[in-house]
Amino acid sequence: MKSIADVVGASGLAFYAEIALAIFFVVFVVIGLRLLVPSQQWEHVAHLPLEDDTPARVSRPSRPARPTPPSPPALP
Amino acid sequence: MTSNEGTSPAVGRDALTTFTPGVPLAAGAELESFSYDDAIVRKFLIATFTWGLVGMLVGLFIALELAVPSLNIAPWLSFGRLRPLHTNAVIFAFAGNAFFTGCYYSLQRLCKARMFSDGLSKFHFWGWQSIIVAAAITLPLGFTQAKEYAELEWPIDIAIAVVWVAFAINLFGTIAKRRERHLYVAIWFYIASVVTVAILHIFNNLSIPAGPLKSYSIYAGVQDAFMQWWYGHNAVAFFLTTPFLGLMYYFMPKAAERPVYSYKLSILHFWSLVFMYIWAGPHHLHYTALPEWASTLGMLFSVMLWMPSWGGMINGLLTLRGAWHKVVEEPVLKFFVVAVTAYGMATFEGPMLSVKSVNALAHYTDWIIAHVHTGALGWNGFMTFGMIYWLLPRLFQTRLYSKKLAELHFWVASFGILLYVVAIYSAGVTQGLMWRAFDSTGRLAYPDFIETVVKLMPMYWMRALGGTLYIVGMVIFGWNILMTWRSRPAVYEEAVVQAPRLVKAYSDAGHGVPETAGGWSRFIGMAWHRSWERRWLLFTVATVIAVAVASLFEIIPTFLIRSNVPTIASVKPYTPLELVGRDIYIREGCFNCHSQMIRPFRHETERFGEYSKPGEFVYDHPFLWGSRRIGPDLAREGGKYPDLWHVRHMQDPRSITAKSIMPSYPQLLTADLDYGVIQSRVDAMAMLGVPCGDAVKQGAARTMAESQAKTIAAGIAQQGGPAGLERKEIVALTAYLQRLGTDIKRLGPSPAAAGSAP
Repeated sequence: MKSIADVVGASGLAFYAEIALAIFFVVFVVIGLRLLVPSQQWEHVAHLPLEDDTPARVSRPSRPARPTPPSPPALP
Repeated sequence: MTSNEGTSPAVGRDALTTFTPGVPLAAGAELESFSYDDAIVRKFLIATFTWGLVGMLVGLFIALELAVPSLNIAPWLSFGRLRPLHTNAVIFAFAGNAFFTGCYYSLQRLCKARMFSDGLSKFHFWGWQSIIVAAAITLPLGFTQAKEYAELEWPIDIAIAVVWVAFAINLFGTIAKRRERHLYVAIWFYIASVVTVAILHIFNNLSIPAGPLKSYSIYAGVQDAFMQWWYGHNAVAFFLTTPFLGLMYYFMPKAAERPVYSYKLSILHFWSLVFMYIWAGPHHLHYTALPEWASTLGMLFSVMLWMPSWGGMINGLLTLRGAWHKVVEEPVLKFFVVAVTAYGMATFEGPMLSVKSVNALAHYTDWIIAHVHTGALGWNGFMTFGMIYWLLPRLFQTRLYSKKLAELHFWVASFGILLYVVAIYSAGVTQGLMWRAFDSTGRLAYPDFIETVVKLMPMYWMRALGGTLYIVGMVIFGWNILMTWRSRPAVYEEAVVQAPRLVKAYSDAGHGVPETAGGWSRFIGMAWHRSWERRWLLFTVATVIAVAVASLFEIIPTFLIRSNVPTIASVKPYTPLELVGRDIYIREGCFNCHSQMIRPFRHETERFGEYSKPGEFVYDHPFLWGSRRIGPDLAREGGKYPDLWHVRHMQDPRSITAKSIMPSYPQLLTADLDYGVIQSRVDAMAMLGVPCGDAVKQGAARTMAESQAKTIAAGIAQQGGPAGLERKEIVALTAYLQRLGTDIKRLGPSPAAAGSAP
């Protein structure tokens, strides 16, 4: 452990912030540019939440039957 | 695997199914019939409301305790013990159950599969509720690790890990057996939340048990502070943000009946958020004894975080494009719009607060409380309400009882948030400015800390009113849930869903990616990401790497570089009596109101004394720097007042400071100090590497503690205080308070007082 500590200690940490900024801007700019290119390939995936509620049929009770309580007065 | 699934190869394509219309069934794919487990969703929904109401009521009670200190009527109802109960209840019980509600509902539908195991779902539900009950019992009784949002003691921590693993198995099991090839963006956020919370929970809670419900963090001082805020900040990130972003990406399109504005933007949002959030924790420790490089790194990444956060917010709001007219009519959408707007405000304010010069004013003040509540009440609360209002008719298979009541809930709660945050923002800025004000002669303009407390009273009352309105909204919400539930059918219908099983052969044809595209085109066309979306294991590993890289870059240097924590020769471990006194300080939650960290600002050193050094905390398991100053800093409390002052102050704070809002602790003068636990606590400290000297010899710790207690008690009696306190808890707490910050005043090793430094 001592040797790792020495290596990390000697490396200096002042440039961490610059590295962080560089990584951020490179990644953000590259992906950001990609967003500007029009594409149809995500259409299907983007619609996934909208196509998941169509049951084939409705059947099986999920718990034992019980008497139906009186309906509350309908409110708007 | 559940039994509610079966293969129906005979079902024709014209049946109502969930596979994508227009996309031909792959060769060899056969339709399978299954149903979703909505019973578990209903359970989590009820738990969300129940714990939400409890957590908010506790919040209102402690808010009132600040305005009316006499409400601290019993030790287990005191502010210091109840504040962690409030935070844990709203984060892990309310928001946690809300996440599980939405996750169990949406995951099954997005994967076109029932949950991997109904048994694991039930274990997860009951296990999580049991943990909440355990928290509700242990925290008011004073069992705490003294780490914000990680207060629960070690047996409960183990239970949390077990239940979380069960949830993870269920989630990944469901993903593994899914019938939809692509993992929708909501699932990415669920995956990131599940794996990162596990990492954070395990590493921050590593501790050495010193009893059935007592433990000491394996980290000390600066390192412990760093780990805690790495955890604390990312608990907000991966428990209150990413899970709710997942819910946003699923439920907003559902409610608006249109797809997310930009799926590609969600890719950028996800990866940049997951990668950057984890670096930002050190911004909670600006100008403390944390090394400056770590603090600066935390600030930079926090500022960067603004961009992906707003990318997500914009994506959420623009999902409503062309559907804004629905917002007028639909309370669900109203809640979502305010939630996403609150997310945008909180994620703008967060980076701003992380800038050191802003943080210098805001840290330790109520400004941070206002910031947190903008996120919690606005973002988490309103996302939850919107989601539940949308789910109620679907889960209970009936009409929502009253849309008008939902509207009323929206307006009452919105007004409540407004009153709450305006009051507490004012309180925070007022505090910060008063603390740092100097008069024309160069002296502190408000030298008595109590002046800054009294000034906040009108804001505290206004905050309580805002909180009350929010809770009134919760009651309306509860009534709507109850009445909707009452009109449920006698028997819930269970929809049978059909979808084709996934087959190995797959092509991107028909999805806009040319089969013949070259490597570069596929890269720049982000075909690789589509590929990742089909491979859940690869996706999970990539997420873990994104999180781990940031963590390791910050944590390893903090632990390995010795120059980060320069040692101070005169700093010695606590004596056995001081150690148990410190445990009483922790038990009563004193760190919730008092910091122990003087920042290197003139207004702080003038008020509290010499600024804190990293080397002063090397034996502090756990660190007790605190994050808030409802009362003054105590880092240099030792030796400021005679022992009797502390006895009188703990017995009745208002007998010392007329307008103090501190709870009274008369019980400390009558409760017997448990000398029986001292040896085991010293031994636990020794296991952590604290040089306890002779105190580790069997029975020595107790003898040393008794000797020191006798000396202190005799001194108190001599000063005119009550006699015979040597076996009472107040003596240990006094010993600890009188030790605080005194080590660096000594030139050499501490003097060999009776029973002192071992």
